[in-house]
Amino acid sequence: MILTYSIGLFVAFAVTGIAFFALMRETDGLHRLLLTDLVEVVTLAFIALVGTDLAEALILPGLVVGTSELIALSEIYRVKEGFNRPPSDGLQIEVMETAPPILAALLVGYGIILSGFSGGAVAGLGVIFYFLSRDHHERFEVIETASGYSWVIWIFAFFTFMIFPERWFFAVMLAGSAILVKVMAKMSIIGTMRGGPNV
Amino acid sequence: MEATFILGLAILLIGVLAVAFVRPKTYVARLINLEIPGWGLLLVMLAYDETLALLTFIAVTAISTFVIVRLMEWRDESC
Repeated sequence: MILTYSIGLFVAFAVTGIAFFALMRETDGLHRLLLTDLVEVVTLAFIALVGTDLAEALILPGLVVGTSELIALSEIYRVKEGFNRPPSDGLQIEVMETAPPILAALLVGYGIILSGFSGGAVAGLGVIFYFLSRDHHERFEVIETASGYSWVIWIFAFFTFMIFPERWFFAVMLAGSAILVKVMAKMSIIGTMRGGPNV
Repeated sequence: MEATFILGLAILLIGVLAVAFVRPKTYVARLINLEIPGWGLLLVMLAYDETLALLTFIAVTAISTFVIVRLMEWRDESC
């Protein structure tokens, strides 16, 4: 067990070295952005090697922060390089019309069963797929309002944990469903990044 | 557990080499090669039974691919 951890740590250090070496040699902006993604993957290997619940707890925020950082950096790069002509309509094939509702329904259903943070991430991915492949004319203020109320429910669940610890199951259910709605609403915003009305 | 772990580390190493020294040096080739170290990391997570981390990693990798492909679309349109 200890030996496998040492080998894993050695390999993780080696691949991190290679990734940073490539990042150092690279001069093109978009290539550097892709290598930043690579560095994120290999450094997550360090956390994965811990191999306990601590690893899962550390990986979740790490991934979310990494993605938001990637989105922000790509926007900065786009503005800096002056890419200001929006891309024309994507693929106009039949499967883009029929597949997204089925895929989105499956992912949202599975996310609701999972509940909690990961459930929100999975369900949010389904909503992102739907919004990315279809035109979206939803009213996003309503989604944001639902997200705000679910935040309040989440805080309420935590007060229930502290004040009435014997009602823990009720609080777990509240917190799990509230964070599901919260994460899903926030992630669905990513699906609208092609622009459009009401955003 | 041992075989999955060692296979994961090997794929991680191969994938990082494939992304760092990519031939031909195009954006799409590098983006596709980025999936290989991702698979290595998934196998390492699988060896330690980290279900939540594994699922979230799959979901988040899909989003980062979307982000980069969109950036390439903007670039192709403007150049």
